[in-house]
Amino acid sequence: MAGMTTIITALILISIALIGWLVLRPSITTTRGGKMLAFVAMLIFPVMAGGMGASKHLENSKSTRFCLSCHVMDDYGKSLHVDDRSLVPAIHYQNHLVPQEQACFTCHTDYTMYGDINAKLRGLKHVYAYYIGTPSQPIKLYQAYNNRECLHCHLGARSFEESEAHTKDPQTMPRIKANQLGCTSSGCHNNVHNIQLLKEATLWKEQAK
Amino acid sequence: MNSQPTPVERRIRIAGILLIVGLLVELLTLRWSHPTAFLFFLLMGGALMALGIVIYLLSLLTAGNKPSTE
Repeated sequence: MAGMTTIITALILISIALIGWLVLRPSITTTRGGKMLAFVAMLIFPVMAGGMGASKHLENSKSTRFCLSCHVMDDYGKSLHVDDRSLVPAIHYQNHLVPQEQACFTCHTDYTMYGDINAKLRGLKHVYAYYIGTPSQPIKLYQAYNNRECLHCHLGARSFEESEAHTKDPQTMPRIKANQLGCTSSGCHNNVHNIQLLKEATLWKEQAK
Repeated sequence: MNSQPTPVERRIRIAGILLIVGLLVELLTLRWSHPTAFLFFLLMGGALMALGIVIYLLSLLTAGNKPSTE
């Protein structure tokens, strides 16, 4: 990722130097070589820099640090560190069941064809609510959490497929897989980002690596 | 010696300045990890760069349409 930033920075600086030259000496564009230089410096390089920059920003927006950079998310970030094995986000984060550097995105993207784009469009809605509107407190999801996001990782896993709670009633598993019985809303795994109890919670201290 | 820039050169200058400002905005937002950075990148940097490119492309079109002297 740092390498990508360096490449984009170099591309931008080269573009600025070449364009700066053209701005100071626009008469060079009357020559064939000047025309080619202008085409590369004023079209090809900026388009490349813009595209690579957009890609870098999209990648960056998946990071936990990015999601928690708005202070309205502070408590949700803290809830990842609560020392409570029943708290679903905390056990996923602390046990590396999701990548720590992309913890929010991993659970809150849609695992569909355009899921990442949908997630980013929702992100723009968050920014709008943050700057123009009033974010609801506590923050609520726009729609019920879809089991698809859990099953993206858990489907086929022994702990999920052979769990007594999932297999005792033969109707349970098909209903979970059809999203008719919500993982987080059915009362089974509903201890999610419980920020109301955060003040009394003990926080896990991560060991320095 | 004629130091007056031609209309095409003037357009290239305007396009160049817009592109430089747009690229600088992109450069500044690259290392800033915050949703506001993305908005600046998209709405300010992107718009300036797009405008610069459009003006440059228009200058190419007008450069090809030299007025007839007859």
